[in-house]
Amino acid sequence: MNLLYSLITGIFIGGIAGYLGSLMVTKRMALVGDALGHVALPGVALALIYGFNVTLGALPVLILGIILIWLFEMRTKLPMEALTGIVFTASVAIAFLFLPENKVSVALIGDISQVGFWNTLISVMLCILTFLVLRKIFSKIILANLSENLAKVEHIKVEKYNFIYLACIALVVALGIKVTGSLLMGALVITPAAAARNFARNLSQYSYGALLIGSFSCVLGILAFKVFALPAGPLIILAASLIFLISLGFKSK
Amino acid sequence: MNKSLILKVKNLNVELGKEKIIEDLNFEVQKGEILIILGPNGAGKSVLLRTLLGLHPFQGQIQWKKNIHIGYVPEEFTIPSGLPLSVKEFFQFKNIDLPEISRALQWVEIKSSPGFLEKRIGTLSTGQLRRIIIAWALADNPDVLLLDEPMLGIDIRGRVTIYDHLVKLWQEQGQTIILVSHEIREVVKKADKVLALNKRKLFFGSPRKIITFQNLVKIYGGEISI
Repeated sequence: MNLLYSLITGIFIGGIAGYLGSLMVTKRMALVGDALGHVALPGVALALIYGFNVTLGALPVLILGIILIWLFEMRTKLPMEALTGIVFTASVAIAFLFLPENKVSVALIGDISQVGFWNTLISVMLCILTFLVLRKIFSKIILANLSENLAKVEHIKVEKYNFIYLACIALVVALGIKVTGSLLMGALVITPAAAARNFARNLSQYSYGALLIGSFSCVLGILAFKVFALPAGPLIILAASLIFLISLGFKSK
Repeated sequence: MNKSLILKVKNLNVELGKEKIIEDLNFEVQKGEILIILGPNGAGKSVLLRTLLGLHPFQGQIQWKKNIHIGYVPEEFTIPSGLPLSVKEFFQFKNIDLPEISRALQWVEIKSSPGFLEKRIGTLSTGQLRRIIIAWALADNPDVLLLDEPMLGIDIRGRVTIYDHLVKLWQEQGQTIILVSHEIREVVKKADKVLALNKRKLFFGSPRKIITFQNLVKIYGGEISI
């Protein structure tokens, strides 16, 4: 039963991470997922210590981290990446002050071998919700990314959509941490999208391709975990990396 | 605002990064008019268009007729060649269907074959992309068209035919057109009014009165032929 729950959780979270990743790679925000994975670490540590859902622990810390980065940017006008760097390393430092040694591995590379019914149900519902929201804003975000002026002339409220998009990133990172941990979460949004870009001829092939590759990588990784008894998180990322390598052969000119 | 008045600009001042770009500008545009904005580089023409679109902060008054639908062709528009975005998907950002896409493409002299619609838009040439962005602005029948150097990178034959199509479309549908262009020769014939700008309004009126040798020297500050 546990395997089934793990697979369902992986399929949905891998899929939504891939789908979101196609937007993030286009907006050159691929490493944001990676950085935010680290930002969440204190919340992940608390969840592991007190035995509650990792996503629930990660989400408030992520929101706090994003607000801090945003506030610092308003005050200093330093580049966003430098501020993100400050916040994420400080987060990691804080987490390691109280993260018990026997929980380090789960926090860093995830563990979905023990998810139960309710956790799976909540993850699936959050994934579906995020997907519906992202599908609605997808083309608007892409247009705004091509030309903010053109998007504004088309009455697209760019700031509003960027905010929704950021909220989706926070949620997907919080979900993904459960699967691949803080350290590897970034790959869950980057690698499937990068692989899909090599296959894709248009936007829907790209975004849905990334979704499928994300899901498929999770299935492969979780099955490999059952066979080899190695941790699932790294196996999922390696499966995605392998698909990326294969995609190089299909690179459309 | 009277019925046929589409746009009224009064005491418009625009400052960007402490530099005054537009000073105390006044003009009006009536429904169905073609207004051409002339001026040397750095005169504030593009900034004026963007300000009219609400993209820059300003002081003064910009009053559009209510519920007006505007199409815009920006001066700069590029698409990263690696982005998997097809021509069809780009038009679908506007929620329009295939016949409307083909119709818009015809106006810019592009035959809309299935193969072309599936092409990655980032792989098109500069001229083709320029045509696409003009078609994109036209596709959902705007009441007003704001065109910023629309023919940049389009070959001479293309320019003439696209202008012809624009004029034909304008005769059929009566859009209001505001156009920034350096190509005095081709476009001025069709204009109702010309606004010559160099931060301040230099001249405003019918092209016959404005486009004289002496005025052009004043606008561009050198030898120029009509």
